[in-house]
Amino acid sequence: MAQNPGTSKKPKTPAARKRLRVGLGIMLTLLLVVGGKLFMVQGLDVGGMAEAALASRLTPQVLPAERGKIVDANGTVLASSVIRYNIVVDQVQNTNTASFKRYNEKTEELDVVTRDQGIAELAGLLGADESKVREALTGDKKYAVVAKDVKPELEDRISKLLIPGIVAEGVSKRVYPNGSVAGGVIGFLQDGTTGQAGIEQTQDDVLRGTEGKRVFEIGADGLRIPVATDELTPAVDGSDVKLTLNTDIQYFAQQAIQNQVDKLSAEWGVIIVMDTKTGNLIALADTNAPDPNDPGKVDAKDRGVRSVTAAYEPGSVEKMITAAAVIEEGKSNPLDHFTIPPSYTIDGQTFTDAFEHGTEERTLAGILGWSMNTGTVMAGSRLTKEQRYDWLKKFGVGEQTDIGLPAEATGILAKPEQWDDRQQYTVLFGQGVSQSTLQTVRAYQSIANNGVMLQPRLIDSYIAPDGEEHKVPAKDPRQVVSKETAEQVQDILESAVTEGQIKDAAIDGYRVGAKTGTSQAPREDGLPGFDGYTASMVGMAPMEDPRFIVEVVLQRPKGSIYGITNGPVFCSVMAQVLRTYNVPPSTGTPARLPQFVK
Amino acid sequence: MSNAAAKTMPSVVGNTARALPVPAGKPDAPRKTRTPLSLVRSTPGKRRTPFVVLCFVAMAAALLTVLVLNISVSTAQYQLVQLKAEAATLNKENQDLTQKKQNYEAPQNLAAKAAELGMVPSTVKGQINVDTMTVTGKATPAVKGDNPGAQLAPPAVAGMLDVVPSVTTKDPLENLKPVTPAAPAPTPAAPAAGTAATPPVELHGGSVPAPQQKAPGQ
Repeated sequence: MAQNPGTSKKPKTPAARKRLRVGLGIMLTLLLVVGGKLFMVQGLDVGGMAEAALASRLTPQVLPAERGKIVDANGTVLASSVIRYNIVVDQVQNTNTASFKRYNEKTEELDVVTRDQGIAELAGLLGADESKVREALTGDKKYAVVAKDVKPELEDRISKLLIPGIVAEGVSKRVYPNGSVAGGVIGFLQDGTTGQAGIEQTQDDVLRGTEGKRVFEIGADGLRIPVATDELTPAVDGSDVKLTLNTDIQYFAQQAIQNQVDKLSAEWGVIIVMDTKTGNLIALADTNAPDPNDPGKVDAKDRGVRSVTAAYEPGSVEKMITAAAVIEEGKSNPLDHFTIPPSYTIDGQTFTDAFEHGTEERTLAGILGWSMNTGTVMAGSRLTKEQRYDWLKKFGVGEQTDIGLPAEATGILAKPEQWDDRQQYTVLFGQGVSQSTLQTVRAYQSIANNGVMLQPRLIDSYIAPDGEEHKVPAKDPRQVVSKETAEQVQDILESAVTEGQIKDAAIDGYRVGAKTGTSQAPREDGLPGFDGYTASMVGMAPMEDPRFIVEVVLQRPKGSIYGITNGPVFCSVMAQVLRTYNVPPSTGTPARLPQFVK
Repeated sequence: MSNAAAKTMPSVVGNTARALPVPAGKPDAPRKTRTPLSLVRSTPGKRRTPFVVLCFVAMAAALLTVLVLNISVSTAQYQLVQLKAEAATLNKENQDLTQKKQNYEAPQNLAAKAAELGMVPSTVKGQINVDTMTVTGKATPAVKGDNPGAQLAPPAVAGMLDVVPSVTTKDPLENLKPVTPAAPAPTPAAPAAGTAATPPVELHGGSVPAPQQKAPGQ
């Protein structure tokens, strides 16, 4: 049998077999080690490598929610958010790139652009000085802002320059297209995110919305890994806030009060326009209203809404409450006869009037028509202290308004037992008691609305991102005086215009009822006493069925207080309101209650 | 029984075997002779070429379809991206135009533009009642050249000041100042107009400054 060397059949020498076995053993051990490590890494994840890798791949991205708009009753946008861009630069990259290539669409070639040329082009687009742009681009910072709040169209052109290191960052910017018109009411934002004043502050939660989030895995090449985690929580945009204001009337009122304040060098002035049937506020005009686009331009004290924040002694406008109270209590009527001496003394307290007169035979209407303190105290003293307090309280004095603005004033109405001998009578004509302009307007609203007081409204509704409108329900109305009393008081107010002293409140074609108020303004510097006057006029029209109330207030006008009238301002604003809302000219005979008893 | 024994065992025993009928025409034929082998030409088989071609064509068609599909999908993707970019651009453009429109609509700008066109605000209005054929109110014509008085500053939205183009090369808000030199100085209402007046605190949308307390008796 022939031997075939090399075949396996050949019996091995024991040494070779041994070597093989050792080799196999080593191989198996290595396999075990590698296998074990594999199991440790893949199966048990010792050291948290997989977790760390996942964490490094997972990229969370915040999806910003768009802040809701603020619109007026007609949908005019008062505040909205727009996209703006910040142009930022990686200075290291830009400084180190002497030239870069850019595709030229005209020649269809790659142009080589030097850094200087790029800077010149950028400066041209930004409208900035070339040396300043160069300064901004040079340095060793990885992040530096070159320009802020650049418009999308400009951002597009800057991006096309392809300058190395230049990136545009999208930011949301709040704009107020109507500027200072209702600027104080709307308020403004701090850092472009948080409401800092006005509606922006109080309705921040509603306007803000909820931020969304997207979590996805991203590879080392910067591309999203398609089959991996991709969680999306969509952002919920903020709701729009719809106000009851009318921008046009608001503008008109602001112009009117600004003119008046400038003419008389007053400290400040406000105008309120209210719809008597709904309690909707149509205008809350302030002087020196801030432009929310740049609120820093006006003083801090001018950035609020004085119609609701400033409480002051209202003066003679309060006589309306006294008249309504005595009529409702059955203690008097508009034609009641009063014999009024030049000065009236009761409980040792002497009261005089703003004008000198002898002993006069007056009606209650005449007392209000000529705004007599003496007569008001005479009529009001028929009420007990407790009744006077109760009636002021019923008309909303000392009761906070709640229209959704920050720092609404409550005013001060002291308890009757705390009144001193004089205060118990001065409250009858609006001294010794303080209230905001809106509180005065609310009291007059209940008279205009036949005795039913409606709470004033500023926020009409919230409009959800899906377009659904959620009306803010009106608060419960309350009957303050009977319809008959309200009508008698309306006649007294109208007679003050037709027969009394407030003839300059008359508007051609419409029946108007009004009341003036002049009060001494307490000093604000901590010293006792008074240092000026508050002059106001509140009125309603058309008197056959009052629809609107306008109040004009002027704080500390310069010059003689007796020569000052808010009549023309009241008239122009009221006429504008009546015309805007297409109120037909008045019908019926104007009330002309006699002011004197013959 | 061993295998060898089984082979030698007769399959029938005795006369128990059934006599099978022998076919008549088939008597015990003599042993068949084998057909002699000869070389023959093979029968011509079916031609396979059309099938193969069909396969190739089908494959090519399938590949082509996939390719076309892929191309169309990626083209559509490019189109999608392009359209999305276009939508975003249009959105921004729309936002920009809306803002411009709002700026033109702002009452201050509208009033300034009207004044520039020579319009003056009317003062006293009259009403005509068609039902009762009465005229109420004495409408008086507005007088040109009346001092418009205080003007609210136009909204200071960045990049939106070009509503009433400036006649001069000075401050863009210059033309909102009262025209007549006899008119009162710019009011504090229009701080933008009074460029000389520097506000004490420049906040520019920032936070409210710390409250400043008045010293008593000041």
